[in-house]
Amino acid sequence: MTKPKIALYWAAACGGCDVAVLDTNEKILDIANLADIVFWPVALDFKYHHVEEMADGSIDLCLFNGAVRNSEQEEIAKLLRARSKVMVAFGACACFGGIPALGNFTTRDEIFERVYIESPSSANENRTFPQTLTRVEEGELDLPEMFDTVMTLVQVVDVEYFIPGCPPPVDIILKVVDLFASGQLPPVGAIIASDKTLCDECERTKEEKKISRIYRPHHIIPDPNRCLLEQGIICCGPATRGGCGVRCVKANMPCRGCFGPPAGVIDQGAKLVSAIASIYQGNGKEDIDRMLEEIVDPAGTFYRFGMADSLLKRKRLPQDERRA
Amino acid sequence: MKKISVNPITRLEGHGKIEIFLDDNGEVANAYLQIPELRGFEKFCEGRPVEELPRIVPRICGV
Repeated sequence: MTKPKIALYWAAACGGCDVAVLDTNEKILDIANLADIVFWPVALDFKYHHVEEMADGSIDLCLFNGAVRNSEQEEIAKLLRARSKVMVAFGACACFGGIPALGNFTTRDEIFERVYIESPSSANENRTFPQTLTRVEEGELDLPEMFDTVMTLVQVVDVEYFIPGCPPPVDIILKVVDLFASGQLPPVGAIIASDKTLCDECERTKEEKKISRIYRPHHIIPDPNRCLLEQGIICCGPATRGGCGVRCVKANMPCRGCFGPPAGVIDQGAKLVSAIASIYQGNGKEDIDRMLEEIVDPAGTFYRFGMADSLLKRKRLPQDERRA
Repeated sequence: MKKISVNPITRLEGHGKIEIFLDDNGEVANAYLQIPELRGFEKFCEGRPVEELPRIVPRICGV
């Protein structure tokens, strides 16, 4: 009997999701016994043309990590979708945009200006920027088009399952391998993590306390046993899906939301605004204005991993400003 | 001129491709290394609180 075929790919990502697969340690041998890996750029020497030469539906499972940031990633997402029976958005970037989607607070032109002109190591008097097509003496060179807006995988192709996390924890990866091996895959659209919030899994003491100011890490030494949010430290737990093992909070670091919104929540940032507002105690507009000032970079914190998946999706583009 | 594409470069972290041009004798006339991806950390880290950067920039490379 031929083994099932697995493909792994990275789009706009850091490689941490691929390393998470390797973090299964000796269990990676079980994965190799279970299936043939037919594409995995970080680890194996298959090229794009190998995937192009495969028949549609010939890959049984594709674990796609990374956000979609340029035209090549969009093309490969569509190619792998066509070739794969089951497409999985693997990790926070593929599921929600992740850290690369912080780029949705800016534009391609602003990124190019900063990287290729303003950066202290750039000497670029001719203002040369990447081109999709460049003529050189020997012929033509092409590059993908970088998009203004970072997208999630499901905004580009149909996706069967979502595995959140930056990166997904090993126990969830092994659970997915078991589900795949046993043929007991969950209903299409399932997010393979907890349905509850991070707070439901957090062991810190919650006292239903109100807060009257927001602290940054250098203002106080947080009590390791009490809820961080009730100590005035912004923690994204109330607006974040559980299943991560509460890794950051156990290390006395507030949650930043890499598991995305919990079941029933459409917009992670809006949910967090609601959670913070519900425990804030102040007297009138002056206090509220002060507290808003105390939250440094609310958008970049509440949507740290989820800007592409949010209702807003991005900062307004200059062309939209003109139209408005 | 004949062009050989090595795309993507594998077994490293990051995205890259190599285009090799061959002359009429099949010898390498020139070769280009291209980096087809940019995420823009240099720009989108601006405006983030300094204490948050140790949680953002590790995602430049997670290998």
